[in-house]
Amino acid sequence: MYQALLTRRYLTSKVMPLLAAIAVALCTAMVLIVWSVMGGFLAMLLAQGSSIIGDVAIAYPVIGFPHYDELIEELVQRPEIEAATPTIESLGLLAVSSDFGDDLEPRVVQVIGIRPDEFDEVTSFRERLWWRPLGASEDETEDWRRKEENQDAMARILEEGSTLSERDPVTGVAEPAMVIGIEVTRNNYRTPEGIYRPASAFTPQDRYTLSVLPLSRRGVAIQIEDRSLPVANEYRSGMYDADSKWVFLPFDMLQDMLKLSEARRVPADFTPGEIFEGPDGPMIKRPEATETVPARATNILIRAAAGFNARETEAAAEEVYERFAQNHQGYPLGPTWKENIVYVWEEKPGLKQFIAAVRKETGLVLVLFVFISFTAVFLVGAIFWSMVSEKTKDIGILRAVGAGRLGVAWLFVRYGLAIGIVGSLAGGALAWVIVSNINPIHEWLGETLGLYIWDPSIYYFTEIPSRVEPMKALIVLGGGVLFSALGALIPAARAASMNPVKALRFE
Amino acid sequence: MGALLEANNLYKTYRMGKVRVPVLRGASITLEAGEVVAVLGKSGSGKSTMMHILGGLDTPDKASSDNAASTVMFEGNELGRMSGAELDRYRARRVGFVFQFYHLLPELTVLENALLPAMAARGRVKYTHERTELRARATELLSSFGLGERLKHRPAELSGGERQRVAIARALINRPDLLLADEPTGNLDEVTGAGILDALLAHRSEAGCTMFIVTHDPKVAQRADRVVHLRDGVVVPEGQPEAV
Repeated sequence: MYQALLTRRYLTSKVMPLLAAIAVALCTAMVLIVWSVMGGFLAMLLAQGSSIIGDVAIAYPVIGFPHYDELIEELVQRPEIEAATPTIESLGLLAVSSDFGDDLEPRVVQVIGIRPDEFDEVTSFRERLWWRPLGASEDETEDWRRKEENQDAMARILEEGSTLSERDPVTGVAEPAMVIGIEVTRNNYRTPEGIYRPASAFTPQDRYTLSVLPLSRRGVAIQIEDRSLPVANEYRSGMYDADSKWVFLPFDMLQDMLKLSEARRVPADFTPGEIFEGPDGPMIKRPEATETVPARATNILIRAAAGFNARETEAAAEEVYERFAQNHQGYPLGPTWKENIVYVWEEKPGLKQFIAAVRKETGLVLVLFVFISFTAVFLVGAIFWSMVSEKTKDIGILRAVGAGRLGVAWLFVRYGLAIGIVGSLAGGALAWVIVSNINPIHEWLGETLGLYIWDPSIYYFTEIPSRVEPMKALIVLGGGVLFSALGALIPAARAASMNPVKALRFE
Repeated sequence: MGALLEANNLYKTYRMGKVRVPVLRGASITLEAGEVVAVLGKSGSGKSTMMHILGGLDTPDKASSDNAASTVMFEGNELGRMSGAELDRYRARRVGFVFQFYHLLPELTVLENALLPAMAARGRVKYTHERTELRARATELLSSFGLGERLKHRPAELSGGERQRVAIARALINRPDLLLADEPTGNLDEVTGAGILDALLAHRSEAGCTMFIVTHDPKVAQRADRVVHLRDGVVVPEGQPEAV
């Protein structure tokens, strides 16, 4: 009973326990911030990724595969699959207007041909179109989407982005348009609050030239195809890699530009120079396109149905694809290829290695910081050692009035636990405040000290993850309490083993 | 009156660096229940060491020079055979200590200091159960020592005499059978010391408390039932010069 009373009094009347609690708080906050940001980054990557590119993909890059609509029809029959859509992906070059002079600046981009409505069902495309009416507000004058005079224009731009078309205001004729990532042009200034403001030109009013390079089935370049297209809207996923590279185009248009649309060809068994008997004598047989090459898509993106995870959906897609491939023997692919063709989104080539690296990096950084935080054990130990020395006479008094060795030891362990609880709670609160405001803090550090730690070009996201997960907080706080109690153990044992008579005579 | 405590042939040697300093050299004493015994002797004669051994805070050396065992019997039970936990209980319930320098815990209030042995002697549940009675007893004791208005004060806010009265209340809180006081007036002026002695003796009748008072002060000795002299670690037999 006396332990509770003394713990309370020692906590509130000494500077040293305050120092120990601060040490625990800082260590706890440090680990929690690192874990929240790095773990949050990974979680964000995993959560965002599937919503941007679907849960499962069937992909055969460059060459593509035909009969994709038939495949989609079969796919959506499965209960595991909610929706599926074909896409075409290719590298491209986008010439964008510059803030410096009249020259256009080329950007290497990832061109994605989509059917907007279907693509939206799989990836929530429409939700990510940036320019949209958000309702007039005088408080948010920085945000163009809230300006009263922009509301009608924003509604039209949203509609145009959703359909990948732009209507001529004079003639009323619609023409195909593209949607580009909000970081592609670098003409948008992002405020610390995360609002994009056009620095000079408003991109959706502009017209840019997009060039792509169609390849033959043997991988040989055919000829550069380019189109001058208006920008219907801009796209923001929050993943820097996507926002700085992606350009969306109508599916049919990109298919046509990449020579992936339906075509007729000369049969493969045609022999050049063959002579046949014509009505007016012998004639050389002319090549005639009698075969039809079906249109192709490079990807089919699939969204898992509610209640099914990506792995279950992947298994279902594999089964469907296997059957599909057997029905189309010879062209384009055999069933043995399915392992490389059907994958869950996080196994997408390039992304898979990146996610694995992030997982390892997160684990490594966490282990390092836990090691660093282990110094709290020694810090608390040193502070408690000194406190036991200071409290030697008190220990003698307690023993004289009947306190046992275990009781005295428990007093200091309990005291360590109390400091751990106070320190961990304070550290948790500090971490929560910092993590919750990490983006404004980061902006402030950048503006005042020029210190930008989070580079979106490296970390994918334009914003630092800013959420503390309760389970993580619980583990870190528990660790803080444990470390503190561990630090108190040896001093507590020393207190318990003190000779009470010597302790009473201690000066 | 029967013997409450019987200490026989106590030996104790301390090490001071490489030197062995014998403090008790075969001291024996018997304390009758309810008596007040004053122990006089020069500095280093072993008075405080004897008090610590009788109170179970220290142990006598196991093998004495004449091969007779050092024993302390309390109500027929030998302290040397008690476990650590039993000795803790002995100190908590049967013995009360009063020290020359009060030895109060500075972080606790007057009332909490007085209640400290009550907390140490009881588990959390039992203490909580008896808390009201114990607080009433501590308040009553402190009030009887004129400290009824100072219950929430810290030791640093009290005079020396007041601190010693808190220490006496603390020693009496568990109604001990044996009160061991080490120079209880040694750090106080004559008037305050007399007051402290009055307070101490006023409670002698309570539950037949036996008092063992270590002192230099002949005035304290005069008020005891019996005076014992210690010289060179041995109790001087009655009738010898030091005993007069």
